[in-house]
Amino acid sequence: MTSASAPPKGNFLDRNHYLLRRLHSLTGVVPIGVFLIVHLVTNSSVVWGLLAHGDKGHAGVETFQHEVNFIHSLPALLLIEVFGLWLPIAFHSVLGVYYAMTARPNNKDYPYQDNWRYTLQRISGYVGVLFIFYHVATLRWGWTFLVPGGTQWTAEHAASTLAMALRGHETDVTLAGLMVAAFYMAGVSLLVFHLANGLWTAAITWGVTVSAAAQRRWGHVCLLIGAGLMLAAWSAVIGFMTLDPAEARQVELRMLAPESAPGTDP
Amino acid sequence: MTTAPVTNPQPRGAQRPRTIRFRIERCDGPGKPARWEAFDVPVEPGANVISCLQWIAANPVTIEGKRTTPVVWDSGCLEEVCGACTMRVNGRVRQSCTALIENLLAAGVTEVTLQPMSKFPVVRDLFVDRQRFFNDLKRAKAWVPIDGTYNLGAGPREKPADQAERYVLSTCMTCGCCLDACPQYKKEEDAKEWDQSFVGAAVISQVRLFNEHPTGAALKPERLDFMASIGGVSDCGNAQNCVKVCPKEIPLTESIAAIGRAVSIHRIKQFFGVRD
Repeated sequence: MTSASAPPKGNFLDRNHYLLRRLHSLTGVVPIGVFLIVHLVTNSSVVWGLLAHGDKGHAGVETFQHEVNFIHSLPALLLIEVFGLWLPIAFHSVLGVYYAMTARPNNKDYPYQDNWRYTLQRISGYVGVLFIFYHVATLRWGWTFLVPGGTQWTAEHAASTLAMALRGHETDVTLAGLMVAAFYMAGVSLLVFHLANGLWTAAITWGVTVSAAAQRRWGHVCLLIGAGLMLAAWSAVIGFMTLDPAEARQVELRMLAPESAPGTDP
Repeated sequence: MTTAPVTNPQPRGAQRPRTIRFRIERCDGPGKPARWEAFDVPVEPGANVISCLQWIAANPVTIEGKRTTPVVWDSGCLEEVCGACTMRVNGRVRQSCTALIENLLAAGVTEVTLQPMSKFPVVRDLFVDRQRFFNDLKRAKAWVPIDGTYNLGAGPREKPADQAERYVLSTCMTCGCCLDACPQYKKEEDAKEWDQSFVGAAVISQVRLFNEHPTGAALKPERLDFMASIGGVSDCGNAQNCVKVCPKEIPLTESIAAIGRAVSIHRIKQFFGVRD
């Protein structure tokens, strides 16, 4: 027998401290980080669809609806959601808040950029949890009493109902709508930062980037990833914010109409 | 000259009326409340914080003219190799022996605040008890195991490159700057909490030093088990203040990454029942 180390003491969290820490890091990258990238690329299609196909027939709305239709065609979507998203996000959030509460930020005395990112990583985590909860509760679970204008998001009218939920009104942007849109802007920006900075720290945590030079190089890559995702996130929020819901609904109705009925233009 | 305060006599350098104000956080002993006292100290050529503290010890009169007790501090080598005189100078942890007044003035400082280190219990004034730090080094088995009942003979041959990598790690003087500046390193008033709390960069770096030593590596599995436990390397939050405040410029963040990697591999090997 070699160096029999004493069995770990304490409660469940203490006994599995290292495993939980590593799972916390891992879930942040896979599946949550990968999902966030896919999600932002999908949602910014309202802008890149427009840029790619021109304004004819609201190509942005059409591209976005097409992406949403694909996601909703996946088999066992609820299972994927529960085990691929909601549970990992809940795990990452609960442990993340628990770990973040051990932080004693000292940016006043040590105002280094790395130290600011340390503090911002924790703030973005706290805000991110609130934002994701609001986002999923209103748009996915149908808590319409929290939506300005009370619009229920539906997968068949993905763009128009999302635009309504961000604007609060069909022809106008209400104050409540503006506040929700601002919350979205702040929420997604902080989450994109959280992912980009999390990718940087995960590489140190797992010992992928050991030398200071490697950490710096990987930091530049993370900055590029973050900048690209930030662009996608902002174009998605602004894209839906400025969308005309009535026009978008016409595009969606046209896509819903059975293709095998030529001449029956709705 | 009427500008010189009557209660603050200047023993030397009357032609050098320039003084610098020291604000010092004082405490009479463990559990006693902290209080602030200010002193005007004449600036002498080549003065450092220690020489100013010596001046205050000889002239313990505050700016209000109140006679007080001499300020207590800890120091040893006075050449930044022992770490004993570590304290917070203007909020930032460092050795007070190498805190030259001229450099502080050049950096635009008009007042010098001195505070004890923030993460260790105060013994008195600027003198702290770093026992927890030394206790954590013992828990980390930060030594080369050579004690025994027979002669172990000559050690293994060393590659100069390995020796050079370890040399900088070996310059750690256990001053505790990296711990004081770390937002994850928590002050523990109760010694019972020591083994639940983050050990900090210096201890992790010492684990790397002795794991990389050919003979010290005999204790590597035990050190990595310690690093995998609560308070070990996984409690690092990557704020990276440690490497910036380290007076010896030890690549602490590289040590943290290297130990993070070693513990991951160690745990995966343990999972598959492979001996490390």
